[in-house]
Amino acid sequence: MSEPSEKTAAKGEGGKPVPGAPTNVPGGTGTKPPPPAPPPAGKPPAPPKNPGFVTLTIDEREVVVKPGTNMIEAAKQVGSEIPYYCYHPRLTIAANCRMCLVEVSNAPKLVPACQTPVAEGLAVKTKTEVVKDSHRAVLEFLLLNHPVDCAICDQAGECKLQDYYMQHDFQPSRLDDRKVLRHKRKALGPLVVLDQERCILCTRCVRFMNEVAKEPQLGVFGRGSHERIDVFPGSSLDSNYSGNTVDICPVGALLSRDFRFRARAWFLSTSPSVCSGCSRGCSTWIDFFGQETYRYRPRENEQINKSWLCDQGRLSYKYLNRDRVLAPALGRGSDAQEIGAAEAMKWAWGKLEPIARTPKLAVLASPLASNEDLMFSLSFAKEALGASQVYLGGRPPGEADHYLMTSDKNPNRRGLEWIARGLGLATKPFEEVLSAIEAGSVRALYAVGGEIPSHPPAIESLLQRLELLIVQAINPGALSAFADLVLPVSPHSEDEGTFTNLDGITQRFRAAYPSRGASQPHWKWAADLARAAGHAWVPNSAGEVFGETAKRIPELASFDWDGAAPLRQLWPGGGPLPAAADGRPAGYREFGRPRVRGI
Amino acid sequence: MLELDITERAKYIRVIGSELHRIADHLTCVGAIGLELGGFTAFLYGIEARELIIDRTTELTGARLTTSFGRVGGLDRDLPEGWTEKVLKTLDKIAILAGEVDALLTRNRIFVDRMKGTGVITAIDAMDFGFTGPCLRACGVNYDVRKAHPYWVYDQLNFDVPLGENGDNFDRYLMRIEEIKQSERMIRQAFQQIPEGPVIVGDWRIALPPKPEVYGTIEGAMAHFKLIMEGIQVPAGELYHSTEAANGELGWYLVSDGGGRPYKVHVRAPGFAILSGIERMVEGRMLADLIPTFDTINMIGGEVEQ
Repeated sequence: MSEPSEKTAAKGEGGKPVPGAPTNVPGGTGTKPPPPAPPPAGKPPAPPKNPGFVTLTIDEREVVVKPGTNMIEAAKQVGSEIPYYCYHPRLTIAANCRMCLVEVSNAPKLVPACQTPVAEGLAVKTKTEVVKDSHRAVLEFLLLNHPVDCAICDQAGECKLQDYYMQHDFQPSRLDDRKVLRHKRKALGPLVVLDQERCILCTRCVRFMNEVAKEPQLGVFGRGSHERIDVFPGSSLDSNYSGNTVDICPVGALLSRDFRFRARAWFLSTSPSVCSGCSRGCSTWIDFFGQETYRYRPRENEQINKSWLCDQGRLSYKYLNRDRVLAPALGRGSDAQEIGAAEAMKWAWGKLEPIARTPKLAVLASPLASNEDLMFSLSFAKEALGASQVYLGGRPPGEADHYLMTSDKNPNRRGLEWIARGLGLATKPFEEVLSAIEAGSVRALYAVGGEIPSHPPAIESLLQRLELLIVQAINPGALSAFADLVLPVSPHSEDEGTFTNLDGITQRFRAAYPSRGASQPHWKWAADLARAAGHAWVPNSAGEVFGETAKRIPELASFDWDGAAPLRQLWPGGGPLPAAADGRPAGYREFGRPRVRGI
Repeated sequence: MLELDITERAKYIRVIGSELHRIADHLTCVGAIGLELGGFTAFLYGIEARELIIDRTTELTGARLTTSFGRVGGLDRDLPEGWTEKVLKTLDKIAILAGEVDALLTRNRIFVDRMKGTGVITAIDAMDFGFTGPCLRACGVNYDVRKAHPYWVYDQLNFDVPLGENGDNFDRYLMRIEEIKQSERMIRQAFQQIPEGPVIVGDWRIALPPKPEVYGTIEGAMAHFKLIMEGIQVPAGELYHSTEAANGELGWYLVSDGGGRPYKVHVRAPGFAILSGIERMVEGRMLADLIPTFDTINMIGGEVEQ
C-alpha cells in the first residue's frame, strides 16, 4: 500500500499550494513538512488515478483533492471529522496539540493530519481503536492541569475541550496530585485577559499575531509545566486585532474583557450581519439576547475579512444598545414631548407640504443607513419633496490601520453614492448645507440619519435658525438636540437590508431581533410620510423597497437580493436555543428586560 | 436506541418499585369502589395500606407520588439502609388489610348486586377499543406485557396472571384483588434474588458523574455540563417500548434526530383507550351503573387529557 503513494508524492505533485484551496504553506513558527521519500530505484512510479489531483482513501471512502490540500479538510469532504485544537485553516501549521493524530498507510506511527501532506493512494483511518486511544490520551494530558472552571468560564458551551471530551474521552480523571497553578487573570491588553491555567498551548494566538495581524506581541515563555503564553515584558497586547485571539482560542484561556461575565453562551442567539463600524463592511455574527446585542463575532467571508474582525469594529456594537431614541418627540430641546407615530406623521407632512419643491427644503442622508433605507427615503425626497440634491451626513472620519479598518467610519457610503446617482440626485458635502443655512437659502432640513461628519462651533446657532428640522435618528446627537421632530430609527440589527462596502461589494444582513420601542427603519418612516402625503403605493418590507427601486440604480440592478441572504446557520455555541415557532428569537420577551438568571 | 443495558440491581429495584406502585394503585381503586358504593370502611382499610406503601416510596425516592427516581441508564440512588425489612413488614400488614377489604366486599350482597353484570364489555370490543391491563384481562384475554414481552427481570420471577370471564365490574374488581397478591409474591422473590452492584451505568455520556467528581475534577465538570446542556446524544431512529403499568400497557414512542433532545415523544397511556370504551359499557343500562363502571376502569385524569 505504501509504495505507490511514496512514488507519486516524489513526482512533485504534492506540496504545491493551489490558489483557492486551503493551503498549509509552512512559514513563521510552523514546521516544514518532511520531504517525501525518494522512490525506490528501479520501479517507475505509477501514474496518478486522477491526473492533476491526488486520490486517497479516508475511512475507506475515496476522496479526490487538489495537491497540497490539508488532510483535515480532505476528511471533511467525506464526512470524517478529525478533531483538532492548534490547526486553523488560515494560520500556519504547528502540529503541537496532537489531537488530529490519524493512522496512515505509509507510516508506522500515528501522524498529525494537519501536517501530513496528502499523497496518491494513501489510506487514512481516523476511527480505529489506536486513534481513539490516542484521542483519549491526548485529552487526558490536556486536562491534567486544567482548572475546574466550567461553571465560571465564559467559554463554557462553546469550548472545544468540552466538546471533544464528551466525544472522545468521557473517562474519569486519574490525577491524584495537585494541579499546576499559574496566572489566573492576566490582563494582556485593553480587550483581552488571559487565564494561563486554562491554556492548552496551541499557539493559535501567537501565530495569529505574527502572521495575520503582523504585530508579534505574544510569545510562548517557560518550559514544561511552566510553559505559558504571555506578552513580552513591558509591552501589552494592544493591537487593533487582539480580539481575534479570543475568537480563535479553542478554550477559555483568552477572553474578551468587554464580553466577560456578561452573558452565558447558551442564552445567546445569533444572526448573520455586517459590521457597521467602518466602510470595510466585515461580515459578522450578531450575538444577541432579547433585544440587546452582546457581541460581534467575525463571519467567514473570503472576499472581505477572511475570518477576522478589528477591535474597533468589534466594540462598535454599543450604539445598538445604549442611548437610543425610542419614541417620536415633538418640540425643541426641553419642550420636546413624546407623541404617537401617526400624529407625528400628520404633523410632519403638514409642515413639509407647503415648503416641498422649494429650494428652502434640504435633505441630508447618512451613509450609516442601509441601501433599502436610502432607496425609499431618497425616492420620497425626490418625488414628494422635490429634492434635486442630497447632503451627506454620517460619522466623522477616523483612523485607518494596516489591515481591515478604514478611515471612513460609515458602512454604506458607496451605496449612498450609487443610489443618489441612480435616482438623479447630486451629492453635496455636509459643510455646504451649513453655509446654505447661514446664507438663508435653506430654511428647513429633513435628515435621514442623525449623524453628522463635522461639528463646527457655530452649528448650534445655525441649526436654531432653521424653521423646520425633522431628524430620523438611532441615537441622540447634535442634530436631534435642535430638531422639531425626532423619529426613532432601527439600526441594522433590527431590520434586514444591504450595505455596500468601499470596494463595491454588497452584502445582505438579517434582522437579529424586533425593533426596540417605537423605532422603525428609515424606509418605513419615509413610507409612513408617503402614506400621509397620499401616495398610493408604499412598501411593506425592505425587500419590496429593493425590488421596486434597484432597477433604477445600475450598480445594484443585478444584485440578487433573495439569493444573497446569508444562512441563519448556527455556529457551535452561537445559539443552541432555536427560534420559537413564531420566529421570535430564543429569550425574547415582549416586555422589559429578559428575566433569565445569570444575565 | 442507545443499545444500553442497565445494571442488574437497577432492574430489580425497578421491578420492586413498579410492583409496589401497582399494589398502591389497586388498593386505592378497590377502596374507592367500596367508598362510592357506600362502604366507607373498605376505603379506610385500603387507604391505610396504601399509605404504608407511600411511606416506603417516600423513604426510597423522597416523594410520595411524583417520584422522579428513574434515570436513563439506571436509578438515582440505591435502596436506603433497612428498607428491605421495612417493605417486607409492610407487605405482611398489607396482606392483612387487603384481606379485610376482600372480606368486607367480595361477598357483600349490596356490593355484588351493584357490580355483577354491570359495565359489561366483550373481549372483542375490549380489544377493539385498545383495552389493556386488568380491564382487558377481566374479559378473559390473556395479555400482560410482563409475560408477553418480558422486560427487566420479570422472566426470572414466578407469578400468575389472573384472568376473568365476564368482563363486568365485578371481574375487574377481582382482578385487582388477585393482582395485589401476585405483586406481593413478586416483591418477595425480587428481594431474595436482588444482586449487589451499581444502580446506574458508569458511562459519563449517559449518566451524570458522581458529585465529588463534578466538583473536584474537570472531567466530571465537563461531563455534567455537557449532559445537562446538550442532553444524552441518542442515535437517530425511532422506538416503541411499553411496560405493564397498574392500569395497562404504558407505551412510549420516541423519535430521535440524533441530538440530545427527543424529536418526538408520544405516551400511549392505558386510561385513554379504556375511557373511550365507557359509552359501550353503560349504553342502555341504569344510570347508577355508571358509578361502579367508572370506578373499576380506574380512569386517571392525566392520561386521558391528550
